[in-house]
Amino acid sequence: MGLLENQFEENVLTTKVDWLLNWARLWSIWPMTFGLACCAIEMMAVGCAHHDIDRFGAGAFRASPRQADLMIVAGTVNFKMAERIKRLYDQMPDPKYVIAMGACATGGGPYYKYGYTVVKGVDRVVPVDVYIAGCPPRPEALLEGLMKLQEKIRNSSVIRKPARTA
Amino acid sequence: MNFEAIHDRLQAISAPGLQGVDLPREANPEDKKDKGRAGDPFVIVDPQQLVDFLLVCRDDPRLKLELLVDITATDPAKDDENLWINVALLSLEHRHRLAVKCFLPKANPVMPTTVPAHRASQWHERECAEMFGVTFVGHPDPRHILLPDDWEGFPMRKDYEFPTEYHGISCV
Repeated sequence: MGLLENQFEENVLTTKVDWLLNWARLWSIWPMTFGLACCAIEMMAVGCAHHDIDRFGAGAFRASPRQADLMIVAGTVNFKMAERIKRLYDQMPDPKYVIAMGACATGGGPYYKYGYTVVKGVDRVVPVDVYIAGCPPRPEALLEGLMKLQEKIRNSSVIRKPARTA
Repeated sequence: MNFEAIHDRLQAISAPGLQGVDLPREANPEDKKDKGRAGDPFVIVDPQQLVDFLLVCRDDPRLKLELLVDITATDPAKDDENLWINVALLSLEHRHRLAVKCFLPKANPVMPTTVPAHRASQWHERECAEMFGVTFVGHPDPRHILLPDDWEGFPMRKDYEFPTEYHGISCV
């Protein structure tokens, strides 16, 4: 900071654009109000005071995909719903992230073998950033998944899109 | 009324389509394959006259089975040639129940709708139709209720084959 040092008044901070944007993004991940099955109950618990997802700035559950950054796929995805999920994902503005919460959204879960209408993993429909194990996952597990997502955003760059796994 | 009294009453008013009874029984110790049957006693009714039977059950003052609890079907076995249509009736006034069973051939599972007797049967019949392939003639709203509209096959049949692909999403 040799050139910039002492060039401004005291209330001016200097930083990198990447750091600033990532900081703003990762502390305001607004999820979509979107629950499919029992995992949604745990997601609601995370939103309530005891676990308090608002500590991470992710408590503003939006009722519209156009205002949301994060889709928490909380529950069993069946084929009838899969097309709707794809459409909701397409309606979300970039940058957008997906968390597959629980065994069903990750890989079909208990319906893997005999669930004739269950999609065996939501990653067959939309790209998933974070998978959370559990049936259903504890609220703490969802919070850890959120922290993993924050880590992913922290390491991303404005110009380069973050690498997606699917 | 217990089951015998209901059955006697059904015979006394000569309820349409009444074909007999199916009672729970003990297993035959001589025959190892015979496991007997637990559960409710059924009356067996001709499926083509089921709607008239339900109307009589609903309107008869002694029976008053005015609440339709459920209509569903059973595919008993792969080599069985019949589907079972199971109907559960309840009388709130007399506090008795009746279980009705119809045998419907799998080769041609067509029967008249029971909506004229109970409007509540609309959703039950829609589910029954998509899951077992039963056609209810005269149903006012014969769409699928749970599955997508273009779903192929009847998932609750014993000979159902799972899809391998649906709208580009792999099912395997």
